[in-house]
Amino acid sequence: MERNELLNMIKEEQAKNGSVSEGAMADMAQILQLPIGDVYGVTTFYSFLSTKPMGRHVIRICKSVPCFLQDGAMVAAAIEKELGISPGETTSGGRFSFELTNCIGACDQAPAMLVDDEVYGDLTPEKIGEILNSFD
Amino acid sequence: MGDVNVVIDGEKVSGPEGNTILEAANEAGINIPTLCHRPDLTPDGNCRVCVVEVEGAPRLVASCHTPISEGMVIQTRSPKVLAARRTVVELLLAGHTGPCVTDECAKDCELHYLAAELEVGPPRFQVKKRRSYPVETLSPYVQRDMGRCILCRRCVRACAEIAKKNVFSMAYRGFRSKVVVDCDVPLDKEACRDCGICIDYCPTSALTKPKAN
Repeated sequence: MERNELLNMIKEEQAKNGSVSEGAMADMAQILQLPIGDVYGVTTFYSFLSTKPMGRHVIRICKSVPCFLQDGAMVAAAIEKELGISPGETTSGGRFSFELTNCIGACDQAPAMLVDDEVYGDLTPEKIGEILNSFD
Repeated sequence: MGDVNVVIDGEKVSGPEGNTILEAANEAGINIPTLCHRPDLTPDGNCRVCVVEVEGAPRLVASCHTPISEGMVIQTRSPKVLAARRTVVELLLAGHTGPCVTDECAKDCELHYLAAELEVGPPRFQVKKRRSYPVETLSPYVQRDMGRCILCRRCVRACAEIAKKNVFSMAYRGFRSKVVVDCDVPLDKEACRDCGICIDYCPTSALTKPKAN
């Protein structure tokens, strides 16, 4: 297998286990004959890949300009209030992880957020509460 | 035969096909400053200090990894080139710390040497959050102070290509970019012995020989 298989392998691992552990990175390095550091480098380059365990659902808030102008800070504050965690943290029961990310391509619906693969737009604090309650 | 003819700073220069602009210039005795490039390492083109102007090209090109082609007209010291080069060094300096920031050690830091040579003035760019990392002192062979690192990747290439040890990799992204060992652990690897090649190739004082204690 070639080095250009690496990103696909990492994505598969992330999809299967929710994150990419050091053990998984070591296995991939072994298979592709790469230094572990190179696998770690690719994994940490992408904000949708994670080296630490994540909650069952990952909330990603856009921190780019269009959402900022549409009061994106309100969205982050509402989530922090609702879940009691700051960006980069996971709720104690492992239900949600909360991350800030760059543009998610939903500027027409700003402020927007992603929960797992689903986009939620035109957010208000009330809407956020409802959306979060719909997840187990 | 097979020589490629170019004009560098008004001077007719020829070199074998596949040679870079930097190599052709050096052969002709024209000096282009470099930072991330070393003749015995694969060109990386990451620092942009060696940029030159090529007539007809939409933007400046890095001379260390741009091959010459027939009829190229190249300027290595045009006002546009000098301005860009100066800005590149200023941006690198903005994220750089080390003993060289105060004068006494300046001669040991290639970045400061370049800044002096290019007559870079007082700092224009302020970095809000400096990159700061604990100094790594675990290894008896190499001490790493990544707060001083300017990410030229010379250590990464020297370790891979000359020492053939592949100890270093690049990780993270943007301001958080860092030269790492494995999954970003302090350097203390079996593979890393006292070859010291990375120390020789580091342009700053990010990599040093640990002081005997």
